[in-house]
Amino acid sequence: MPMSATQQRSQGQQFNRGRGAGDAVMDGKSKLAADAPVAIAVEHVTQRFDGRRPGQQVLALDDVSLEIRAGEFLCLLGPSGCGKSTLLNIIGGLNRQTSGTVRIGDTVVRGPTPSQVAFVFQESTLFPWYTVLENFKVSSDFQRSQASTWNDRAMSALRSVGMENFANHYPNQLSIGMKQRINLARGIFLDTPIILMDEPFAALDEQTRMVLGEDLSVLLARTGKTIVFVTHSLAEAVFLADRIVVMTARPGRIKATLTVEEPHPRSPDFMLAPRFSEIRNELFAILRDEIRQTVAAMREARDEGVVDG
Amino acid sequence: MAVSDFAVAAAPRRFSLLGNLAIQRLLLLLGLLVLWEIYARIAGDTGMIAGPSGILRAMGPKIFANPKVVAAIELTLFELAVAYGLSVVFGVVIGVAIGMTDFGRRCFNPIVVLLYSVPQVVLLPLIVLVFGIGPLSKIAFGFSHGIFPVIVSTITGMRTVNPTFLHGARAMGASRFQTIRHVIFPNMVPAVFAGFRLAMTLTLLGVLLAELYVSISGIGYFTQVFAETFDPSPLFALMTVLTVMAVALNELVRLVEARFTRWKN
Repeated sequence: MPMSATQQRSQGQQFNRGRGAGDAVMDGKSKLAADAPVAIAVEHVTQRFDGRRPGQQVLALDDVSLEIRAGEFLCLLGPSGCGKSTLLNIIGGLNRQTSGTVRIGDTVVRGPTPSQVAFVFQESTLFPWYTVLENFKVSSDFQRSQASTWNDRAMSALRSVGMENFANHYPNQLSIGMKQRINLARGIFLDTPIILMDEPFAALDEQTRMVLGEDLSVLLARTGKTIVFVTHSLAEAVFLADRIVVMTARPGRIKATLTVEEPHPRSPDFMLAPRFSEIRNELFAILRDEIRQTVAAMREARDEGVVDG
Repeated sequence: MAVSDFAVAAAPRRFSLLGNLAIQRLLLLLGLLVLWEIYARIAGDTGMIAGPSGILRAMGPKIFANPKVVAAIELTLFELAVAYGLSVVFGVVIGVAIGMTDFGRRCFNPIVVLLYSVPQVVLLPLIVLVFGIGPLSKIAFGFSHGIFPVIVSTITGMRTVNPTFLHGARAMGASRFQTIRHVIFPNMVPAVFAGFRLAMTLTLLGVLLAELYVSISGIGYFTQVFAETFDPSPLFALMTVLTVMAVALNELVRLVEARFTRWKN
């Protein structure tokens, strides 16, 4: 194991030690998590992209290793451009990594695995030319699901996010928040053990975002799915995650790992708890340098006239 | 005080929005017709211009009671239908074939755009030589006018897919065929219909131009006959029929379009 990985681990532990309030819960919960099988294994994944200039290469992910247990809610947190979405796409088989391996269960990922993984993206991927229900049907066809019960499952997924009355609406008739609820419902409807979420609430206003986050926490506690959730928002990460993986500025590496010991479903009261702000502040302390570094790199790139998104 | 000001200001505005707009348009149209009638009666050359009342009077006996003119309208409609049908079918097929690949777009799109911008009227004598003076040359000329907007809009429609939808489809495991069937085709419908509507107007133009150039029947032929015999009232009556036809056909395409783009709102 390379040097950096050991460092990461020790740092993560160090941050865990800072808290006392949740320890009692932590014991019970962490034992449970440790017993659960590994759902997703990311092993030494590196990703390089071609840069703007010929021959120039951008290192997006640098030797990232990560294990995600079944039923775990894991947040990937980091500054813009740190490769967290790239990592998510690699896990989902949408991007091919330069080196390293990703395993889902025992299978090595070599392309999209729609029977195992459902995605929820920042932008709605509901096709505007189909009604909500037609969208669910088409998704199920894409997935090559043979189940004839799709209609009942679709309606029950919509009910679980309170959107059952909009089954025959077209997406353009709905607000962004409603559309994201439905995208979430579709993620559940697709009946995969894993859901990958790429900043699903980023386009929403803060109030809608908080309510949706709360609903998500309730929903997922019920379904027991494995979730990997990419976000910019510290509060969102603390509120939702069992474990938060903080990534460095580009090239993306794992800088620290924090566990949040609070059983799901979480109530909004958790956000008012002192422990919530403690973890949030810890996260910010870890991230601050990385954000500064990102900003400085962007400035430098601008001055050179080469801007890498 | 402020409240009553508001109420006074708001009330007439709501009135003018719905009811009055239609009435205003109608009044404007009537006013223009009256001016036209007055001009035609007082100052107009009776060999060149007919007023609305004269046109209306000519509509029955000189247009719809004349079997030759009725047959001409039918023939033009037939030529238009065939030319338009061919334009739509071939336009979409060619457009899809070109738009499907980057290679096709890069190589063929410039050629299509170039051909589209050629003033085709210069080819009319050649087309008549090749296809004769019968309906075939009219269909060919209508087709050559109609097909290009369909090709161009089909290519545009295929190109403007939101990458998010392609990404999402891929993540859900869509095959290439499913992606085309459920993402690319539905996405291009609005753009393609814009092309269909433009093609309708241009096909009609092509057919009429060919009829005017050389023919023994069709609406174009009779407009020429009426104009050259200084008989303006049936000429304008025929033009009115033509206008109603063009508007009706355009509305028809729009209705079909509305049926296929209900989701757009």
